[in-house]
Amino acid sequence: MDEFEEILQDFLIEAFELIEQLDQDLVELETRPDDLDLLNRIFRVAHTIKGASSFLNFDVLTHLTHHMENLLNMARHGDLIIEPNVMDVILESIDLMKALLVRIRDTKEDAGLDVSECVVRLDFVANGDSASVSEVKVSVVVPEVEAVQSEDELDYSSMSDEEVEAEIERLLVIKNAEAKAKHDAKNSVQEEEPDYSSMSDEDVEAEIERLLVIKNAEAKAKRNAQSGTQEFSNESVEPVVSIPVSAPIVEVPPVVQVVPIVAPSAPPPPPPPPRAPREAKDAKDDGEAKGAANVEQTIRVDVKRLDHLMNLIGELVLGKNRLIKINDDVEERYEGEAFLEELNQVVSIVSLVTTDLQIAVMKTRMLPIGKVFNKFPRMIRDLSRELNKKIELEITGEDTELDKSIVEEIGDPLVHIIRNSCDHGIEIGDVRLAAGKEEGGTIQLKAYHEGNHIVIQIIDDGKGLDADMLKMKSIEKGIITEKEADQMSEKEAFGLIFRPGFSTAATVTSVSGRGVGMDVVKTNIEKLNGMIDIDSEVGYGTSMKLKIPLTLAIIQALLVGVQEEYYAIPLASVLETVRINKDDIYTVESRSVMRLRDEVLSLVHIGDIFEVERVFDNSEHAYVVVLGLAESKIGLIVDTLIGQEEIVIKSLGEYLKGIEGIAGATIRGDGGVTLIVDVAALMQMAKSVKSTVGTESSSTKAIGAKNSATDYCVMIVDDSKTDRTIMRKSLEPLGITLVEATDGVEALNILKQGDHYFDAMLIDIEMPRMDGYTCATEIKKYNKYKNLPLIAVTSRSGKADRMRGVESGMVEYITKPYSPEYLMNVVKRNIKFNEGL
Amino acid sequence: MSEKLQQIISKQNKTLMGDDKKVDEVVQLVGFIVGEEEFSIPILSIQEIIKPIEWTRVPQIPKYILGVFNLRGSVIPLIDLRARFGLQTQKHTDETRFIVLKNGEDVAGFVIDRLTEAIRMPKRDIGPAPDTVSEEETMIDGVGKQADRIITILKVHKLLERNF
Repeated sequence: MDEFEEILQDFLIEAFELIEQLDQDLVELETRPDDLDLLNRIFRVAHTIKGASSFLNFDVLTHLTHHMENLLNMARHGDLIIEPNVMDVILESIDLMKALLVRIRDTKEDAGLDVSECVVRLDFVANGDSASVSEVKVSVVVPEVEAVQSEDELDYSSMSDEEVEAEIERLLVIKNAEAKAKHDAKNSVQEEEPDYSSMSDEDVEAEIERLLVIKNAEAKAKRNAQSGTQEFSNESVEPVVSIPVSAPIVEVPPVVQVVPIVAPSAPPPPPPPPRAPREAKDAKDDGEAKGAANVEQTIRVDVKRLDHLMNLIGELVLGKNRLIKINDDVEERYEGEAFLEELNQVVSIVSLVTTDLQIAVMKTRMLPIGKVFNKFPRMIRDLSRELNKKIELEITGEDTELDKSIVEEIGDPLVHIIRNSCDHGIEIGDVRLAAGKEEGGTIQLKAYHEGNHIVIQIIDDGKGLDADMLKMKSIEKGIITEKEADQMSEKEAFGLIFRPGFSTAATVTSVSGRGVGMDVVKTNIEKLNGMIDIDSEVGYGTSMKLKIPLTLAIIQALLVGVQEEYYAIPLASVLETVRINKDDIYTVESRSVMRLRDEVLSLVHIGDIFEVERVFDNSEHAYVVVLGLAESKIGLIVDTLIGQEEIVIKSLGEYLKGIEGIAGATIRGDGGVTLIVDVAALMQMAKSVKSTVGTESSSTKAIGAKNSATDYCVMIVDDSKTDRTIMRKSLEPLGITLVEATDGVEALNILKQGDHYFDAMLIDIEMPRMDGYTCATEIKKYNKYKNLPLIAVTSRSGKADRMRGVESGMVEYITKPYSPEYLMNVVKRNIKFNEGL
Repeated sequence: MSEKLQQIISKQNKTLMGDDKKVDEVVQLVGFIVGEEEFSIPILSIQEIIKPIEWTRVPQIPKYILGVFNLRGSVIPLIDLRARFGLQTQKHTDETRFIVLKNGEDVAGFVIDRLTEAIRMPKRDIGPAPDTVSEEETMIDGVGKQADRIITILKVHKLLERNF
C-alpha cells in the first residue's frame, strides 16, 4: 500500500465514522435547532471531510462539502434558522456526500455524480435570508486556502483532546497539500493571526510540536484554563489551552512555567490564580459535565486480528473440554488418590480462566447496537414525510452490545421490518383519529439482553395483523392451500408475511409492497440462528421480537444420539425437549405429528434426515427435541439426549462444504468429530422427507416381488460341514438361493453386508465363537430383521432348550435328525413359498 | 595472472553447469497398494501418514467419502481410495493407513491398503498416462517404470478435487 492509499483508507474510515453520527445529530437538530453543540458537531463533520478531500484531490466532494459548510456555518452563527425546508436540502446534500464517499471507497475517485444541482439549492437556501453570504463567498475562491481560513472559526473550546489532535494532524495534512500545490499564500493573509500558509513545513512542524508541549504541560497542570481563553483570543492556536483535562494528577506545578510556552509570540497573560487540588477537581467535574472532555481510551484494531484471537480461544475451549473429560476419567480410575485434588483444582482454574478469557475476547468484538439504530431516526423522518404519516420513533437500549458480525447482519432485516411497520402498520392520521387513537403513530425500537441472547423488539401501535386477512391473501397468491389455511393457528398465520411473494400492501409503493423484504428478514435472522416471534392484535398494533445469539463462533449445543451417531444442535434453536411414548405419535396425511400441550407439532426423525441406518430396534420411548427458528417450529425425534456442551464451530472445509443440513463440525472432549445440525436447512428438509416414524422398518417394503424360486433366500448357519450339506440337499429341490455360514459371527457379518435379503435362517445351536441363541438375540436387535423367521435346527431337545430358543426369537424348533421333507415344509411355510413359481 | 584466474573460474562454471545437465532430476515418491495395484504419490504432497483412527460419517455425500476425522484439531475429510477407484471395499487391517495429502489449502485423508516403500525415481523413467483415458478426467499423472514393475503416479490435485 503506498502512502496515498494509506491516507485514503484512513480518510474513508474517519469519514464513515463521522457520517454515522451525523444522521442522528441532524434529526435531533430539527427538534432543537438552537443547540449550538449539535450544530458545531455537524459543521465539523462537513469541515473535516472538506479539508481532507481537498488534500486528496476529490474536487467534486470538496465542492459539495464546501457549500454545505457555508450553510452550516451560517446556521452556527445564527444567520440562518434551520427550518424543515433547509433541513431537506441539508439531508439531501449529506446523502450525496455519502454516495460520493461510497464511490470513492469503491473506485478511488469521486467523478460521475452530479452535485451541481444540490450545490445550487444549498446556495439558494443560504442566500435566502442572509446578507452575510457574499462575505463568505469571497473567501471561497480557493478551497484549499479556505480550509485554513476557517480554522479560526472552529470552536476549539468545545473540542476534546482527541479532536484537537485530529485537528492538528489535519492541519499538517492540509499544510503539506498546500506546499505541494504551491499556492500563493497571500490569499489567506487577511487575518491578524499567525500566517500558517506562509510558513514552511518545518515551521508548521515546530508549531505542532509546540502545541503538543503545551498540551502535555497542561495535562500536568491539570487546570481549567477557561478563564485564560479571553486573553489568548488573538492567537488562533491557543484555545487548545482551554480544554478541560481530567487526568487525575494531583500535583500542580507553577503556572508560570506553562505560560511562556503557551504563547511565546503573544503578550504573556496574567497568570491565573493558583488553584488548590480541590478546586482543580471541581474544574475537572465542570469539564466532564460539559461533555467536552471525552477521554475514553480506545485503540483501533484490525478485525482480522480479533478474528484470529477468537480462533485461538476456540482451540483453547476445545482443549479445556478435553481436559475436563480426561479429569473425569482419571478421577474414576484413581479414586481417593492425593494428587486428584490438585488436578481437580488445576482443571477448574484452567476452565474458569478459559471461560473468562472467552468472554473477554468476545467483549472486544462487541459493538453497541446503537450503531445500527442510529440510522433509523433519519429513516423514519424520511418515511413519515414520504408517506404523509406522523410517526415517532422511540429507541431504548441502544447501548446493548453484540458481536460485530451480528451487528453487520442485523441492519437489513431491521430496515425492512421498520419500513413495513411504517407502511403497513401505522395508519394515516385521519384513520387513526377515527379509531380513537392519537394522530401520530409510535414505533418503539428496543434492545435488551436475555440470557445468552439479545432481543430486539419492534413495536408499533398501528392497525395490527389480521390473521384471516393474511390467510385469504396467501390463498389468493397461491402460497398456501385452503386446507392448510384452515389448520393454521394465529401465530402461524402471522408467519405468512415471511413467505416469499407475500405482500399485503394493496399498491406497491417505493417503500414496500414488492413482497421481497420480509422474506429477506427471515433468511437473515435464520442465518444468525435467531428466532422471530410475532404478536399482534387487530387495531392495537404489532410487536416483533427478534431473538439472536450473542456470538457465532462458540455456541452452546445440545448433543443428541441416534443409533450409533451423535449430532450437536445449537441450543439457541432448542425450545424444549420432551420424552414421549411411541403411542403419542400420530400420523396425519403421512406426516408424523404429536400433541404438545395445545399445539400440534409436526415430527421428523433425525435418522430420516441424515440417512442413518436404523440398525438397532428403537425402544418404546423416544425423545423429541422441539426446535424453533424464526417463526416456525418442528419436533426432531432422537434416540437419546447426551447433554449440553460448549462447542466450537469448525468448517468442514472446501471439499465437503455445502452439505444440506450440516452447519459444520466440532471436536468433542474425546477427540471425536461431531456434526452440527443446520436447523434452518433441517426444517426445509423435513418438508420433503418421508416419515418412517411409528411405522415398521421401511426395509420390509423394499422386498422385491418374488418372481422365481431363486428370489427366495435362506441362510444355513452350522459349524458342521455335513449338517450344512444335509440341509442344502433337503432344500435344493425348492430351487431357492442358499447361503452358508459356519458360525454366528459369520452369519451376522453376512447379514450386515446386506448382499442378500434373507427370507429365513436355519440356525444350529451348538457353534464355536457365537452360539445359536446369542446369534438369534443379536439378529433380533436389528430393526429390519424383526420379522425374519429364525429356525433352530439342533439335537438339543430339552424343554429348557426350546424355551431359550423362543426367548431368543426363534420361531421354529427342528430336532435332529429330521426328514428332508419335514425341513422343506417348515422352510416353505416360513418363507411363504409360492408353489406356482 | 588475473586472466588465468578468470579462465579457471569460467572453466569451473562450465563443468558445474555440465554436471547439472548430467544429473537427472529425481522424483521422490511414496508407494502404496490399493486393491491389486501399486500407486504412488509425490512425497512433497504428503502431509503425513497415520494409522487408522475413528471417523464420523457425514450424510448426503458419495459413498467413497467415509466422513471426517480429527487431525490434531482440524476436521478433515476421509476418502476411501478403494471405493474411489470402484473397487470392493474391505475391512481395515493392521496394515491400513491414512495418507493425508495437501495441495495448497485443500487437505484430505485417503485410506490405502498398505504402504510399500519410498521410491526415488529419475524423471526420465516416468512415462505419460495411458491414452485410453482423457487428459481431463484421469487421476493418473504418469506411469513410473522400474526394473520389475510399473507404478502409477496419481495426480494429487485431482484426488483432492471435489467432484460431486
